[in-house]
Amino acid sequence: MFGLYLHIPFCEKKCSYCDFYSLESTEHIDAFVNTLLTEIDLRSPVMPSGACPAEGRVEAHTSVFFGGGTPSLLSPEAMSRIITRLHERYTIAPDAEWTMECNPGTVTPERLAAYRTAGINRLSFGVQSFTASELTFLDRIHDADEAVAAMTMAREAGFDNVNMDLMFAVPGQTMETLSYNLSRMLQLAPDHISAYSLIYEHGTPLFARLKKGLITPTSEDIDAAMYALVITTLTDAGYEQYEVSNFARPGKQCKHNLTYWHGENYIALGPSAHGFIDTTRYWNHRSLTAWTTKVNAGELPEANRETLTNEELCTEYLFLTLRADGTPIAEFEQRFGVDLRSALQPDLGHWIDAGFVIDNGTTLRLTGEGYRVCDEITVKSIQFVDRVPSSLRSSG
Amino acid sequence: MDVIPSFRHSVIPSFRHFVTSSFPYSVTCGLMQHYRNFCIIAHIDHGKSTLADRLLERTGRVTAREMTMNQILDDNPLEQERGITIKLHAIQMDYLSPSGEKYKLNLIDTPGHVDFSYEVSRSLSACEGALLVVDATQGVEAQTISNLFMALEQGLEIIPVINKIDLPSAVTTIDNVKKQVMDLIGCKEEEMILASAKAGIGIDEILEAVVARIPPPKGDPKAPLRALIYDSIFDAYRGVVVNVRVFDGTLKEKDKILFMNTNQTYELDEVGVLYMQRQRTGILEAGNVGYFTAAIRRLQDSKVGDTVTLANNPTDRPIEGFREVKPMVFSGIYPAESDDFEDLREALGKLTLNDSAISFEPESSTALGFGFRCGFLGLLHMEIVQERLEREFNQVIITTVPNVRYKVITTKNEVMWVDNPAQLPNPTMINEIQEPYIRAQIIAPSEYVGTIMKLCMERRGTMLGQTYLSADRVDMTFNMPLGEVVFDFYDKLKSSTRGYASLDYEYSDYERGELVLMDILLNGEPVDALSSIVHRQKAHEWGKKLCVKLKELIPRQMFEVAIQASIGSKVVARESISAIRKNVIAKCYGGDISRKRKLLEKQKEGKKRMKQVGRVEIPQEAFHAVLSLD
Ligand SMILES: Nc1nc2c(ncn2[C@@H]2O[C@H](COP(=O)(O)OP(=O)(O)OP(=O)(O)O)[C@@H](O)[C@H]2O)c(=O)[nH]1
Ligand code: SF4
Ligand SMILES: [Mg+2]
Repeated sequence: MFGLYLHIPFCEKKCSYCDFYSLESTEHIDAFVNTLLTEIDLRSPVMPSGACPAEGRVEAHTSVFFGGGTPSLLSPEAMSRIITRLHERYTIAPDAEWTMECNPGTVTPERLAAYRTAGINRLSFGVQSFTASELTFLDRIHDADEAVAAMTMAREAGFDNVNMDLMFAVPGQTMETLSYNLSRMLQLAPDHISAYSLIYEHGTPLFARLKKGLITPTSEDIDAAMYALVITTLTDAGYEQYEVSNFARPGKQCKHNLTYWHGENYIALGPSAHGFIDTTRYWNHRSLTAWTTKVNAGELPEANRETLTNEELCTEYLFLTLRADGTPIAEFEQRFGVDLRSALQPDLGHWIDAGFVIDNGTTLRLTGEGYRVCDEITVKSIQFVDRVPSSLRSSG
Repeated sequence: MDVIPSFRHSVIPSFRHFVTSSFPYSVTCGLMQHYRNFCIIAHIDHGKSTLADRLLERTGRVTAREMTMNQILDDNPLEQERGITIKLHAIQMDYLSPSGEKYKLNLIDTPGHVDFSYEVSRSLSACEGALLVVDATQGVEAQTISNLFMALEQGLEIIPVINKIDLPSAVTTIDNVKKQVMDLIGCKEEEMILASAKAGIGIDEILEAVVARIPPPKGDPKAPLRALIYDSIFDAYRGVVVNVRVFDGTLKEKDKILFMNTNQTYELDEVGVLYMQRQRTGILEAGNVGYFTAAIRRLQDSKVGDTVTLANNPTDRPIEGFREVKPMVFSGIYPAESDDFEDLREALGKLTLNDSAISFEPESSTALGFGFRCGFLGLLHMEIVQERLEREFNQVIITTVPNVRYKVITTKNEVMWVDNPAQLPNPTMINEIQEPYIRAQIIAPSEYVGTIMKLCMERRGTMLGQTYLSADRVDMTFNMPLGEVVFDFYDKLKSSTRGYASLDYEYSDYERGELVLMDILLNGEPVDALSSIVHRQKAHEWGKKLCVKLKELIPRQMFEVAIQASIGSKVVARESISAIRKNVIAKCYGGDISRKRKLLEKQKEGKKRMKQVGRVEIPQEAFHAVLSLD
């Protein structure tokens, strides 16, 4: 797997909880598109710039993901130009997954059809809730009806792979409203559901309100109960949980996200985007101006990069796979020369006994109960990394 | 009213008697006439080290400009931070008397805290006199008496100094305090010097009294060398620096010396006296106090209390040494990470070079792995050792609950010494358990008699005697198990008497006790490092408190944790810690991974400091939970 991520840093209105890099003014969106085309060139393996971290890489990209921000603020024409340029500059597999994040409040049937024609084959809607008070709390610009309408439009435009985001542990939310949100979402039959517990991210307006004591966060007990409700409702409805917050119908897991979680490579473009190639992670400037200036000067717009040690790679691989669809034992041994089953004893035995972890013979995988305490298990699991002789390890 | 403490007579038949007869040496040569060796003794905080500052200043040993900090002799950062003296400090001063005579004064500042009273007794043996400092607002307190008696036993001339007369409240207390002091040592009013170490009052008078009242040392510089080791310090470059008081003969560089007790010979490298830094003189004659080095790598070779003589002309009269100090309180010290065991051994080895009162022996625990059972003089000593290990030797350690050393008589009538509760033999093999008792002396205003009696009784004490030092000041003696005093007795005593009570104690004997082993079980598994030996009648309450405390200290885990206190198979208390309900960050995409990894790695470091028993992770603080019980 080999991913390609493009960050579109514009939103109509910032949501109170969001810490993604995005601007409320779309004034510079056209200039942004041109600059993005230049970065596509800069990082291209077929361009002479030589600055591409994946230079010489012949592997085809298996997924392309337009995230943000709100990529649906891009006109279909702009989207089309970007996609054409990507095809010119990168090898992209014919069956690649092309995802685009959309705000249910910014789509029309025409636009969706045009995106589909341009090559997008997967949509991701930030629905979050079907309860008006919750949507207001989160500062979402759409209402429940618009979410329903968006889904209908998506299906009519020919999208057979649609994700919806759902949020729980929102202050004021009850088990009843969550249950209502879930059933409304299931009625729309998305192919994929991302269900997140609300995070109070530093620097967001929501975090400031929390610090001022204006918000009572959901208690751990209720958060846990809500999470359990989400997991059972969605699994009962035929969705398979393949990551802490992600559920999919069979065959509809998001390939792009699995790229992150399986420790595979991905190129990233656009302000604040993070890319990862072999052992190196880079991140672009988190400022449209800084990013634009660099790219237009013909330089990589990176704020920084880090090369991971074997220990760090091992830690990342373990925690990412554990929180997703499990750590493949053979692959782990091949990458790091470590027999995971014995490295995790005696804890692994306790976790299996308690029903937190399943060893299915090839993979160590968290159960629904296990996901609930995923970080506890992870912190404990990565302890062995310090004890493994580095000579045994190779970079993946 | 008879205000003289009743037991004083039993300890010292007559104080005046000692002053005149304790030094059976007849010779005082010309040089010696101008030496005075004295120490400063007092109850804790009565101002010994501050007085030393003034003396050093007045004699010009330290200029006012060099006096960059208060209590300048307290040169260990821990002493400065805590504002207390831990180690004796010797220093020589030159004093020009108004009479025109020049003197060399060897001063030793001593600690006041009861844990370090052995430092006082060693200091005394190098001196002919002592300044007994008494705080004008506090009056005679427990260590005032115990240190005074030690000095009297050594036959020292006592100069009473009433200090802190600058304090406004001294106006109302001073007459009473003067009377207490006069009653205590049987001196006349004019023999007491009124002083303020802080304001520099009475300093000249003290210096004059030192030369006038303290006898010069006696000894024969021509006789075979007899020098007493009263302290030794390990210096990484020169090896052991031995501090001595020369009684007879002369120490010269290049001399071949013999340590009489250990029978080791060495050639002297460097000989000198002690200023703020060591001052090489090449020679040290009878009557003087100073140091030498001889490339001694092992502190055991130069034992404190041993007599140094010349290898080729040894004395036949070794000086009577000191009673060896025995650790009273024991605790396990373990490396936080098991790989660091050898490092810790090395650090302890080095620390004991400078503090021979510490004992340590390897031991192991199922909960904590390999570590050491260490012995200390008391709780303050323990705290200081632990802090020095961390600060001076960069050790990350886990310490267990301190306990005393028990004497176990087995059914086969054998005696076993147990200083680690986990090593108590099976009850079926125990005939009886004995525990150390102390004789505790408490001095307090008489209004607190009831409170103090109650407190001591709760701690299984029995009163031995009660004497009024003055109409409103009482001196009480109790026989108490040391194990009951070790923890928070002193704090309790202080808080229930608004700080007015003072405590001194000395070891008395072992007595049989109704003692049982209390185990702590976490999810059914005993945690050996949490075991303690408690009195049967207190086991229930103790167990309850401990369980509650552990519940507070052990963080919630993925599983519910049951905490039980048990005696044998009988559970006497229990608590439980509910499991973590949810701990997972919802989002982790490309941009979050690096941050998330760092967060997890940080949490991992935190977890590393936890010890795991079965499924339960125990933070370090839990292993000395008892110390914070109330
Ligand atoms: N007001 C006043 N305070 C004093 C005087 N002498 C000492 N102090 C204060 O009393 C406290 C204790 O003084 P130290 O000199 O450390 O007492 P110490 O007897 O050496 O104490 P230990 O070595 O711990 O036993 C300090 O805060 C001093 O500043 C004095 O004459 N007047
Ligand atoms: S629409 Fe999405 S990216 Fe934009 S502010 Fe809201 S949550 Fe953030
Ligand atoms: Mg002092």
